[in-house]
Amino acid sequence: MSNSLSLSNIAAATAQGLVISQLEVYLEQYRLFYDLNIVEGECLAIQGRSGVGKTTLLQTIAGFERAKSGAIYWQGQNILQLAPHERPVSMLFQEHNLFEHLSVIKNLSLGFADVLPKEQLIKAAERLGVYGQLNKMPAELSGGQRQRIGLIRTLLRPEPIILLDEPFAELDSDTRQIAAEWTREVAQQQGKTLLVVTHQDEDVERLADRCLVLGD
Amino acid sequence: MFSRFPVISILAYAVVISITAMAFYGLIGFDQARLMPELLQDQYIQQILRFSLLQAAASAVLSVMLALPIARALHFMPELPARKAFLRFCLLCFVMPTLVLITGLVALLGRSGLMTGFMPNDWNLYGLNGILIAHLYLNMPLAVRVISQQLAHIPDTSWRLAQQLKLSRTQQFLKVEWPALKSSLLMLLGFVFVLCFNSFAVVLALGGGPGATTLEVAIFQALKYDFNLSEALTLSWLQFTIAGLIFALIAKLGKLNWLSADTHKQRWQPEFGQYSQRVHQGLYLLAWLLLALPIVALIPTLFKAQLKHLDFTLLFLACVRTIVIASTCALFATLLAWWLLIPIRQAQLRKNESGRIILQWLATHSLVAPAMVMSAGLYILLLPRVDLERWGWFWLILINTVLLLPFVIAQLKPRLLQYDQQYWRLSANLKLSGLGQLHTIWPFIRPAMLGSFVLALLLAMGDVAVFSIFGDNSWSTLPWLIYGYAGSYRMAEAALASLLLLALCTLLIVLFERKRLYEQ
Repeated sequence: MSNSLSLSNIAAATAQGLVISQLEVYLEQYRLFYDLNIVEGECLAIQGRSGVGKTTLLQTIAGFERAKSGAIYWQGQNILQLAPHERPVSMLFQEHNLFEHLSVIKNLSLGFADVLPKEQLIKAAERLGVYGQLNKMPAELSGGQRQRIGLIRTLLRPEPIILLDEPFAELDSDTRQIAAEWTREVAQQQGKTLLVVTHQDEDVERLADRCLVLGD
Repeated sequence: MFSRFPVISILAYAVVISITAMAFYGLIGFDQARLMPELLQDQYIQQILRFSLLQAAASAVLSVMLALPIARALHFMPELPARKAFLRFCLLCFVMPTLVLITGLVALLGRSGLMTGFMPNDWNLYGLNGILIAHLYLNMPLAVRVISQQLAHIPDTSWRLAQQLKLSRTQQFLKVEWPALKSSLLMLLGFVFVLCFNSFAVVLALGGGPGATTLEVAIFQALKYDFNLSEALTLSWLQFTIAGLIFALIAKLGKLNWLSADTHKQRWQPEFGQYSQRVHQGLYLLAWLLLALPIVALIPTLFKAQLKHLDFTLLFLACVRTIVIASTCALFATLLAWWLLIPIRQAQLRKNESGRIILQWLATHSLVAPAMVMSAGLYILLLPRVDLERWGWFWLILINTVLLLPFVIAQLKPRLLQYDQQYWRLSANLKLSGLGQLHTIWPFIRPAMLGSFVLALLLAMGDVAVFSIFGDNSWSTLPWLIYGYAGSYRMAEAALASLLLLALCTLLIVLFERKRLYEQ
């Protein structure tokens, strides 16, 4: 990793929000390169053809993929060297967002270190139409219901950066709209910085302040 | 989180490695014992080595080959009668105390055995025949369980897709079953090979002469009859090296395959054709018969027992001691395995393949270290330093615990690696505390933990080898009592004690399976 004191590095380190600076990630032999800024509280939609590196970008920010060089600054601090559990990030994966052996309500309560926002969780479950599923096991839920449970927990966790990897992929158009609007509201109310990978233009319109198409 | 190994894991590795190191140090330190490479030129030793390899290879190949169709029958024909009972019975056969099996085999196929009349004129149980039969009996059921478990991991979607693509039954086997089974079969072959290569009690009882002796028995003879420590040491290293290399290969092959997420429950799978169904039904029936016969053969011997002279208090106390000692060993082995697995899981997550193999080898090397050498080496080292009459029980538990580790780790590891594969990212992302992690992993791992504990308990209940060195007649366990009865030709009493030990093992298996089904 380069530690040179270039002007661009200094600028990135002093900028507020999320700065992804000259980030180089290798998947097998394939090189991926990222360089972008996201203002604090902004919602950025990420699009691009399959395999271009959208998920890899989110996984690298969350700490699950290693970067070869570059930096990721959050509020001026480089978080690239931090372990996943030390990063100010809450992420919704494409799959495996729920522990299959724990009930839905137990799954929903995980990841809140201090106080559980019980009221908010219940309100969100009602709004997204999954309140009736809380006492079930994940295996009893449909793909869309599981996705909404994961989404509620990801959004309401006390982390400033929210990464959503195709969060509405399994939802019908009505539920998709409700979920997207709820996501936008919560993110705005709580000042979250949002990165959303999506293939749907309607998600971009409903949710995002800006859209980045990777690979162009 | 994964930057360093926990202290408790480092201590666990230190304990496991020190036991083996101390055992070898005990042998080397005594009477200037030295390695004798010239022994490898000796024709007698070469013959023993050849036989050890041959019988182990034959036992492994036959066990796995015979297990495959039976496991497939169990998997694809869930309507088979007493299918669950058969799987329980398989577990009982694998953990069956060797002395019980040998008593049953002699009653069935020995010189005046129940079935000997149906065998060819030149039939002799002693030698390669008997050794192969006993090894098949002990290991084929293990292979049946492992293969049927592996088949159950094939996701439902694969079968549906295969059907939708109109693949023939052969194509389904080649494209769906074989990729799921391939690595398990290789691992099984290696595992059974190592178990049979290190086999002691079976070969001691059913082997005969240099033509049917293994390295482990030769080590025992060098220690017990010739008191030639240099020879024992050289043979031990030879065995350690060969079994160790094979075991390292198993560790390399032992990858996490086909462990699908728990959401993929099998609700649909193909059926056999009519002809195939009949063949598999026949094989299933034959397997029941072959596995049940040695136990049934013990019953007529019972009628010869003179119950008036039997000391029931002795029998009862032996039962209690067996359970207490075995439970303690099983508990320690399960805890130790958990701690030993932490660094292995960390290496797997970091994709540090060589690190994982080395750690796994260190954690489970007691599978390849000759049990006789471990016990005898430690005994020689400790005798002048420790009051073994007083502390023998401690070393008995410690050595048995270490010897159980490979089996416990083999049970626990796949489930823990599956957890990591499925949930590590989620768990890290949720920033769960130590207690929080325990709360999430425990419900997932509990059935595997219970299974490992019961397996260890059953295996420890059959121990004779370590007891023969560190035990004491004043606190005999049940297997030691059987050994004593058989040694003084009181076969009826030996059969009675054997059936009692078997009944205890069966009870434990039934309780365990019930608990498992209840939790499901």
